Amino acid sequence: MTEKQTSHHAHTLKSGHLLGIEGLGVDEITALLDRSLYFADIITSPSEPHDDVSKILHGVTVVNLFFENSTRTRVSFEVAAKKLGASILNISVSGSSVKKGETLVDTATTLNAMHPDILVVRHHAAGTPLLLSKHVSAAIINAGDGRHEHPTQALLDALTIKRSFGRIAGLKIAICGDIANSRVARSNLYLLGALGADLRFVAPSTLLPSDVEKLGVPVFTNLNEGIAGADIIMMLRLQKERMQGREIPSQHEYFNLFGLDSVSVDKLAGDAVIMHPGPMNRGVEIASSVADDPERSLITQQVEMGVAARMACLEALRPNGLARQKGR
Amino acid sequence: MAKLFKNAHLVCPERELSKDGWLVVDHGVITQSSFDEQTPPDEASMSKVIDCKGQIVGPGFVDMRVQSSDPGAEHIETLDILLTAATMHGITSLAILPSTEPVIDNAAMIDSILLRASRYKKARLYCYGAATKQMAGEQMAELGMMTQAGAIGFSTGNYSISDSQMMRRLMTYANMFDRPVMHHCEDLTLSEDMDMNEGETATRLGLIGQPAIAETIILQRDIELARLTGARYHASHISAAASVDVIRKAKAEGLTITADTAPPYFMLNEFSVSGFDSAAKLNPPLRSEADRKAIIEGLLDGTIDAIASDHMPIDPDEKAQPFSLASFGASGLDVFVPMSLKLKQTHDLSWVQLFALMSRNPARILGLEAGRLSIGAPADLVMINPNSAYILNASDFHSQSRITPFDGTPFEGKVTGCWVGGKNQF
Repeated sequence: MTEKQTSHHAHTLKSGHLLGIEGLGVDEITALLDRSLYFADIITSPSEPHDDVSKILHGVTVVNLFFENSTRTRVSFEVAAKKLGASILNISVSGSSVKKGETLVDTATTLNAMHPDILVVRHHAAGTPLLLSKHVSAAIINAGDGRHEHPTQALLDALTIKRSFGRIAGLKIAICGDIANSRVARSNLYLLGALGADLRFVAPSTLLPSDVEKLGVPVFTNLNEGIAGADIIMMLRLQKERMQGREIPSQHEYFNLFGLDSVSVDKLAGDAVIMHPGPMNRGVEIASSVADDPERSLITQQVEMGVAARMACLEALRPNGLARQKGR
Repeated sequence: MAKLFKNAHLVCPERELSKDGWLVVDHGVITQSSFDEQTPPDEASMSKVIDCKGQIVGPGFVDMRVQSSDPGAEHIETLDILLTAATMHGITSLAILPSTEPVIDNAAMIDSILLRASRYKKARLYCYGAATKQMAGEQMAELGMMTQAGAIGFSTGNYSISDSQMMRRLMTYANMFDRPVMHHCEDLTLSEDMDMNEGETATRLGLIGQPAIAETIILQRDIELARLTGARYHASHISAAASVDVIRKAKAEGLTITADTAPPYFMLNEFSVSGFDSAAKLNPPLRSEADRKAIIEGLLDGTIDAIASDHMPIDPDEKAQPFSLASFGASGLDVFVPMSLKLKQTHDLSWVQLFALMSRNPARILGLEAGRLSIGAPADLVMINPNSAYILNASDFHSQSRITPFDGTPFEGKVTGCWVGGKNQF
């Protein structure tokens, strides 16, 4: 591991929310990343002496408002909030008044009346976090909105890369799979792109959104061509419903053409690493022999880094001293 | 091993040359010709000398649309007979539709058919993969793995894909493999219960007509999708005047659109149905005289790239029915060359034009090596005596299926020899 640029100083986000990576300044991204590195050191070596971070969010209430099923992201936010001393509530969709016909905005307004400080929102519809941010006084963190953005995932990916390579600028990174339906691909494009990575998308033509190349990223429809010379390969999850013959003929063909197996990986540089935001479809987009390769796979580290990255995001939106614009 | 073809009239559609000369074939490929050299080789050094005096020698015909009833209905026609019949007409390459039983919609089916065909050592057989699983139009088939197995394109057989999103994705997906999507254009809602072309004849006969726009509507949609996706798109057996117009426009715009038609659509019109002749029940149906003339115009000006046989083996029992209950289709393999020769004669096509429509263009569309008399090209050759007059007689057909609306048609010209990879076929 090379020199690290951790930050011992908390910072804030200008907008008062974390709605996406697009729109953040490079200074804000860098500050979040530096602070994430600081928290990463703390959580990965608990036996060493560290600053006490458990008071950072003392008295702060964080609400996990998840309209879409999630285990890893929800738990990751929960662990991050607890490590910083916040109290956290989980609102599950099935038990909520949303199922009783309440509108999204009404639900948010109702919750807001209980004065949470930070709302962590996941929803299947793109733009939901922005909509909520206009109706509540709490800070909003986007934990994934449809195909739009997943900013904390991009941040944790960048953190994982930075801890592994010591840098991001100049690294050749191939993001492979269901680009059309991926918020992870979009957030990573903005974040890693802003930090100077050499990105490319690799996907079957039916899973590429239209005009994607206009986002400024080279696009490949052949896996081996797309990953040639890459330092990092980020595989995306392919949902089962996409393999029913509308977008992709079958799971068999997808793995045959776009699945990452040891044959493809053997053609890469010796120090190339594999990432995946999870949950993985083994035998669809990735072979177990690759996913579980201790020399190359950073997949478990990504989960670990998720907590550190989310600690940095929660801290950056803590209520005291924030110039947050109140929605109402 | 070397064979000399001497005193021939050579036609190379690739180089657009048509002149008297000679040709040497060795180890399955063309090694020398009078197009490239002045002096013919010493006849004594040849293992065989074929005197082609008065004969046309050109690249073997490429038939890009053939239905095989094997596997699945071998009682109608076997693959062996199909490939033999092809060579009797100088057809050295043919591409079969995926609508067999089972459907050719996976790599294993392609492997097995290509392996069988290679054992017969007759005409070269190529396979289209089915564009959708079971040809049902609902799920994309494994186009990538079929390409790896040797599929030269993706076809919907005699079905049309109504779902525009499905067609768009097929084109987008097929593009990754640089293979054309071959479509039978038919708006199924306009085509419901169709017996024949819509119009006066259908009205007099009391049969249900299909308007020609049933073809053109889907074709126009496909052209827009091809523009959107950049796909290689091929319209099969075009029959309508309006279709020729939209293809002409699309080509003028530079889109990668190609098309073929078949002898019934340039030789016959809907009057052939008049006596309730079920041999003339085809899909697309025989159209009006104006449509027929427009098809010929399209062939002459290059709008329609290729002539295909559109061979469809039919059990005679399926045709010995009242017209509306009879099956669609007719035998095409034994008609393809004679009727194309007749078109050449009646419309004054050059030999280069004819070989372009029947050999060079289909070979280009399918990415085959065939269709040229160049050094290094496969020695797939046809020899034609242009000056003999015949009557097309269904009982003389080489294919086992003898259903045809052309029985008794006079024509000029006869295939007198056929070589596949330098090997004499008859």
